[in-house]
Amino acid sequence: MKMHTKTIHISSVAIFAALLVACSGPQVRYGDAKAVETVNANYGSTDLQMIAEAMTRSLLQSKAISGSKDAPIVTLADVKNKTSEYIDTRVITDKIRTQLTKSGQVRFAVSVSEMQNQTDELKRQNQSGLYKSNTIAKTGNMQGAQYRIEGSIASIVKNTKDVKDVYYVFNLNLINNESGLLEWSDEKEIRKTATR
Amino acid sequence: MQLIQRTFLASIGLSLVCLAGCASKPPAAVPEQAIVGQVPADPPKNPIISAEALKADSKTIAVTDIYFKKEGKNLIFIEETRHKTNNNVISTITPKSIEVDADKADASALTGGPNSSAFPVKFTNLADPKATAPGTGPIITPVDPGSNSNSASNVETQSQKKSGYESKMEYGELRYLANPIRGLLIKSGYKVVQAKPSTVAPNQGDEYFDIVKRIKAGDFPDANYVLYGVLVEISVVDNIDDIPGTKSSSQQVVLDVTVDFNVVDTQSTQIIASFVASGEGKEVRIDGKDNAFKPSMAKLMKLAAVDLAEDVRKNLAAQNFITNNPGSAGYERNLKRRLDDDTSTLKVYK
Repeated sequence: MKMHTKTIHISSVAIFAALLVACSGPQVRYGDAKAVETVNANYGSTDLQMIAEAMTRSLLQSKAISGSKDAPIVTLADVKNKTSEYIDTRVITDKIRTQLTKSGQVRFAVSVSEMQNQTDELKRQNQSGLYKSNTIAKTGNMQGAQYRIEGSIASIVKNTKDVKDVYYVFNLNLINNESGLLEWSDEKEIRKTATR
Repeated sequence: MQLIQRTFLASIGLSLVCLAGCASKPPAAVPEQAIVGQVPADPPKNPIISAEALKADSKTIAVTDIYFKKEGKNLIFIEETRHKTNNNVISTITPKSIEVDADKADASALTGGPNSSAFPVKFTNLADPKATAPGTGPIITPVDPGSNSNSASNVETQSQKKSGYESKMEYGELRYLANPIRGLLIKSGYKVVQAKPSTVAPNQGDEYFDIVKRIKAGDFPDANYVLYGVLVEISVVDNIDDIPGTKSSSQQVVLDVTVDFNVVDTQSTQIIASFVASGEGKEVRIDGKDNAFKPSMAKLMKLAAVDLAEDVRKNLAAQNFITNNPGSAGYERNLKRRLDDDTSTLKVYK
């Protein structure tokens, strides 16, 4: 009887310990944001980084940017997503913009998607009557961009029972807003193959 | 005799010593004079400045107010009643005229014009001989003999009506556009003198723009040059456009003024510079249509006048009439000359 009771006690402790371990959830670790991500063949963080880096480097070497006396004013236009996946293309252009701005060789004007905030602010300052006139950011003095950046991302996906092959091509263009001339263009190709 | 000779030789020697002494004497010290607050003149760097030399050097210029010529039209309605008795003709004329804008008159005069309801008469130009030719001109209405004429006493009454418009030209000067231009010429080193105001004669014609006549009449005393401008067009445009990427719209009210300018040398009556300049006064209101925004015309006019002066400056500089921009070395140099020449300028010596 005594032996039986002891066995029950040990079993209870073991079960309790097992439950505690089970309830503690997944472990969280910080990883390297720039580490190569190969979870699956879908568009991922490494693709974003590769595209942004390649495009920024190429754009800074272009004649339109490197040959300009003053840092030209550029605005971001659309990057069209022509793939079957959901890709936030704005993240790509924002990353490129950040790197270009850091270089100091390019200045950016607000893009179309940021215009609502810009007009709201100008309206608030100019039309509310609340601000000192000599401190107001006046309407009509925004600077127009000389160039706009636009492009597209497309993909070709092929599947077999064991293999998935994805080919991405990211194309970016720099267009002179006044002349309409394409001043610079480059592309970045990425191939990813996943096997089971 | 020998004594005289020695005395003569001694006096010559003494004179020579005195002369030599005087020759080596240092010149009298000149008190150092420096003008406080003025920069020494820069050497000419711009070839235009050195070539044109000192075109602006203490030269004077008169700037007229901006001339304009405006077409006006009077609508005229004349009713004439004639009573003919044997050899006597008694005529009674009742003229009526309405002054209207020329464009409105045109619009109303032609059939189906937008103002035809306001001016329902088809008007003809009375000055045009074709328009008043037989068959197109006056409407002669013979009065009913039974009621208005007495055949027994051989009295004939005729009534005729004429309607049309007569053109008239209005000449004058705009008083508010030229001052910024005078200001820029003062900044550029010119002395700007006042011109006598021009007067409009009755039945004035285009000789109103004859600047040489005014120069000879002495309207610009002491001026080396006269800058005069004739208004080409002044217009106000009110546009509303959507702002892409937003829910807002922008209302833009723009006052545009275009003036034809000439600079004339008063001595030779040669045209020194000639150009067309324009100025723009713009008011932008975000979502202005939502609250029926009305811009300040006074503000627009000021902006347009300042912008016009800036365009005049660019054109005068392009034609080498002014040699510099405000703040440049040439500007400083011209300003210094002007200060030096002007006796009324306060100078401080140390």
